[in-house]
Amino acid sequence: MSGCPYDPFKEHRKKGVLNAKLDGDEIPMILRHKDLKLRAKDWETYSSDAPFRVPIPAEEDVRTVRQLPLEVDPPEHTEYRAIAEPFFRKPLQADFIQKIENLIEELLYAIGNNEAIEIVSQFSLPLQSRALTYLLGVPESEADELISWGTHVFRTGDGKQKGAQMEAYINAWLDKAEENPGDDFYSALTQAQYRGRHLTREEMAGYCNIMFAGGRDTVINSVSFIMGYFAQHPDRLDQVRENPSFIKTATEEFVRYVSPVTHIGRVCPVETEVHGHKVKEGQRITLGFASANHDETVFDSPEEVRIDRKPNPHVGFGFGIHNCLGAHHARLIMRTLIKKLCERVETLEWVDAKENLEVEEDYTRTVSYESLTLKVQTKSLDAH
Amino acid sequence: MAKIAFITPDGESVVVNNAEGNLMEIATYNEVEGIDASCGGVCSCGTCHVRVNPNWIDRLGDKTEAEIDMLDFQPGADERSRLCCQIEIGSNHDGLILEVDPL
Repeated sequence: MSGCPYDPFKEHRKKGVLNAKLDGDEIPMILRHKDLKLRAKDWETYSSDAPFRVPIPAEEDVRTVRQLPLEVDPPEHTEYRAIAEPFFRKPLQADFIQKIENLIEELLYAIGNNEAIEIVSQFSLPLQSRALTYLLGVPESEADELISWGTHVFRTGDGKQKGAQMEAYINAWLDKAEENPGDDFYSALTQAQYRGRHLTREEMAGYCNIMFAGGRDTVINSVSFIMGYFAQHPDRLDQVRENPSFIKTATEEFVRYVSPVTHIGRVCPVETEVHGHKVKEGQRITLGFASANHDETVFDSPEEVRIDRKPNPHVGFGFGIHNCLGAHHARLIMRTLIKKLCERVETLEWVDAKENLEVEEDYTRTVSYESLTLKVQTKSLDAH
Repeated sequence: MAKIAFITPDGESVVVNNAEGNLMEIATYNEVEGIDASCGGVCSCGTCHVRVNPNWIDRLGDKTEAEIDMLDFQPGADERSRLCCQIEIGSNHDGLILEVDPL
């Protein structure tokens, strides 16, 4: 296939929509940047009030709870989101930033002996899992359980079995938090007020469910991509070393280019039309973030990774009221990773990789690596 | 250099005496409440939204297409709205007052 493997939508974008065969259905995917923003904003026509049906494929068979605050519209959404927001702002605090710096240094030195190492399982997955325990405010040893779930709880291996295992794990933590509250995420949920009442157990579990299912493969794939990218382009890492302001612009560019969430659905409560495609009441459309992030009318040479791209109005963290709650956390992990690669790594050598492919009937899209083998040589600790 | 002030959503004012350079960086350096500047200045997040007095609008330079587009979708944005990350401050901005939009 010619063209950019991260953007299989280029030809379709000319028409504005791809009537994609997804999840046993035909679902119009919105492909252009501005068009996507308009529709992401219009929750009355394109609703998120649809338990299990916002992610595509739908998740009726892998979970029993509505994910919050993802699967709800305003005005309820505003209040549900406000409950979770403070926790997701923790990555802006100095002590949290320091913990992530220490974690990434530790993980880099653990693999930094110049022996071939598989990055996804030995670096990206533990990094995301351990960083998530900081966000949750639980002991770091809890990461072992999260690591055992793999890159995506529902989509790696037996999703039904792992989905049930995850719900049991969440409920055990919520039980503990109800009996003996601490300062962790679960305890905050047991104490939260929604419209003058406590949250129900189902609502609490709904917040936790997306915490584990939503922000994992996305961060893991972004981290792996960054490692692979700098192994293939050591000159670019030198450029960041010379100009540290590129840490932030490169992070945004990786989010744009990789677009770890290819698309996410909405359900139409009333019949509507999308670029000539009729969408019946109760049917879905999907917001094509990856395509919008490669829209050539917005981004010059979108098929190129430009670590200094600015402006870069990407929608890699979604757009509008449902934009990614974990964006602060994800940005901190990626920025710190790039910073530590600059500071602590002597050489990053490409060995081998297998791309992570999203294979659908109408398109195949690369999203980072399924496996990535590199040789990492860290600087001697004495040199600090 | 210019003396400028931010009025935060709580009504507090943050005065910066020697302001120069990118307005978003000035705001984050001075820890102005309400300016998250999450994306670091690439015009993708809208979390550095401020309003300026109409008399000042013309003196802050033209908006890029990316900024116009972001502001189009910014809740509560109006003709006084700007994104800090797209503004460069120089000596001609002495006396500028910026109202910070709540996040």
